[in-house]
Amino acid sequence: MSMGVEARSESRPRLILFVTGDAPRSLRAKANLAETLERLGIDPADVVEIDLTADPTQTLVYGIFATPALLRPKESGRSEILYGDLSEQKALERFLTLG
Amino acid sequence: MTGSAAALAKRETGIIGLDRMTGGGLPAAGGALILGRPAAGKTVLTLQLVAMALARGQAAIFVSFEESREQLLRNAAAFDWGRQLNDDANFALIDARPGAGAQIAGEFDLEGLLAAVGHCVERTGAEWVIFDGIDQLLRRHRDPLLAADQVHLLSSWCEERGLTLLLTGKLDHSELAPRHLDGVEFLLSTVLVLSTRLVASRLARRFRIAKYRGSAHTTDEVPMLIDAAGVHFPYSDETDPAPSSPAPVERISTGVDRLDEVLGGGLYRGSTTLISGKPGTAKTTLCGSFAAAAAARGEKVLFLSFDELQAPVTRNLATVGVDLNAPIRDGLVSFHAREAWSSLLEEHYFAIRRAVDQERPHCVVVDPASALFKVPGGEAAKVTVERLLSAFRKRGITTILTSLGSQDDPVSEATLSHASTLADTWLVLGFNVTAGERNRSISVVKSRGSSHSNQVRELMLSGDGIDLADVYEYGSEVLMGTARLQKQNEETFAGRLKALADAQRKRELEHQIQLSEAEAERLRLELAAQEQERATREAISDRYQLEVLQRRHSATLRSDRSSTGADPKTQRKSQK
Repeated sequence: MSMGVEARSESRPRLILFVTGDAPRSLRAKANLAETLERLGIDPADVVEIDLTADPTQTLVYGIFATPALLRPKESGRSEILYGDLSEQKALERFLTLG
Repeated sequence: MTGSAAALAKRETGIIGLDRMTGGGLPAAGGALILGRPAAGKTVLTLQLVAMALARGQAAIFVSFEESREQLLRNAAAFDWGRQLNDDANFALIDARPGAGAQIAGEFDLEGLLAAVGHCVERTGAEWVIFDGIDQLLRRHRDPLLAADQVHLLSSWCEERGLTLLLTGKLDHSELAPRHLDGVEFLLSTVLVLSTRLVASRLARRFRIAKYRGSAHTTDEVPMLIDAAGVHFPYSDETDPAPSSPAPVERISTGVDRLDEVLGGGLYRGSTTLISGKPGTAKTTLCGSFAAAAAARGEKVLFLSFDELQAPVTRNLATVGVDLNAPIRDGLVSFHAREAWSSLLEEHYFAIRRAVDQERPHCVVVDPASALFKVPGGEAAKVTVERLLSAFRKRGITTILTSLGSQDDPVSEATLSHASTLADTWLVLGFNVTAGERNRSISVVKSRGSSHSNQVRELMLSGDGIDLADVYEYGSEVLMGTARLQKQNEETFAGRLKALADAQRKRELEHQIQLSEAEAERLRLELAAQEQERATREAISDRYQLEVLQRRHSATLRSDRSSTGADPKTQRKSQK
């Protein structure tokens, strides 16, 4: 999992994880996502992490107001979002595999 | 912001009624929950609060979870204050609608939202933060308690920063518990409830402060209106001046001289007069006369007509010599025609108060005020009429109300009976039906501070104007119209006959007196003659008796002398 919003400038990331510093749910989301990515064999580099407490303007840019949130940008603009600490494994796997 | 260190600090909202009911505004720091069913006015109220704050130079952040920025601004544009929200550097509108198809995979929080709001607050210096429809986001929590915790977190976050937070939420069938936010009403210190109901198929909005910890507040449920100017609380918005003291003693004319005389010189300025009567008894005509007289004095009149338009009213008045068209053209009489059925009671009240504020009239006519009893929600008409009268009185406005009684209602005079207790003067109009003729009558039931006749009088309308007929009593009745004229003629004729009879009788009696006096004289003469005759007779009788005695004596002497031989001359001397 790459860290920092600057990763977006190189190419459109496949996934963006929005967190808020060290908030417990954000920490849980990072851990749950990392574990599932590994289990499904998805390259962690496909995920960019954005800390909204560090850069609140990203909240407005992406329209992400509930955190943590996992976003899959789409060319069409209709991005897919998965809210929560990603503790519901089946929902997370479905989001990662069907996208 | 108002309040001392010890008291709860409040932030004025700029909506007079709301500030009055909350005792100075909403909490200056922390959250207030605004609950209501759809179309109750939650979003409009919050947008208006933002607009008014911006107008005062304050800043605000509005976070919408239900409507887009464009939708909100378009909706706001329908109101007078809508433009205030456009391109104001002190305003940030955040579209926080959850994306379509968003899924949930565990617990989430609002830290990201708070980061964004904190950023906007820092940029704008906002004092107000509004989360509109946050339940749209929080309802995605599996556990409702987590949603309530999030709201508590928001409130605490705003309280720490001295921000006024307004959260809107939907009510289901419950009185207070918001849908998807169970228990949140217990976490926040202030809960405002907006509700709707159908009154005679019309939407009526109500407002209530369900809870306001640390602050005295109005607990009543009050009507709430939404019009082009936004949200109003018609019974709480108004500011009435202190009543003038002492009470005015000036009399003003009703426009009918004879009625003024009956009332002891006219109506007291600033007083309230109730005119009640059945249809066709000339209530509107008297109102028109009063309005025309006021205009002739150069005073402004607000003429509120329920269910009748200006044109027919002025036309009808013209037929009885009352010209309202000229003072209307001159701006002295402001004629407002309202349809009773078309608005809720509070809408009528608000419109009347607004008209009074705009026109600042010396006199107000409400014709008929009883129409307020048939409007949707009319069960509160009694209080509404009292509120209006109180407001007019405090402004020194001379008021005339009319009350329309029903033909079928024998106690129709009592339609506004409660208003009659508040009115200073109560005139009752009616019909007097005698000899197949219907005539208008007028009586003064009461006139505080005036000596007045309690006599029913005839109210006469003609092209020359309005007048009262002299009282014509006939036994226990008061006759009117043709019956009055006929009876007057009969009385006059009978009077003349009686006078002739009296003169004839007098002459007869005088003649009899003359005859009697002549007879008496004759009898006196007869009596005198009789007396004279009696005296003569007695004298003759005396002489006769004397002669008899003398003859008897002479005979006796002759007898004695013949027996004794004595001298008869000597014997006569001794007998004497």
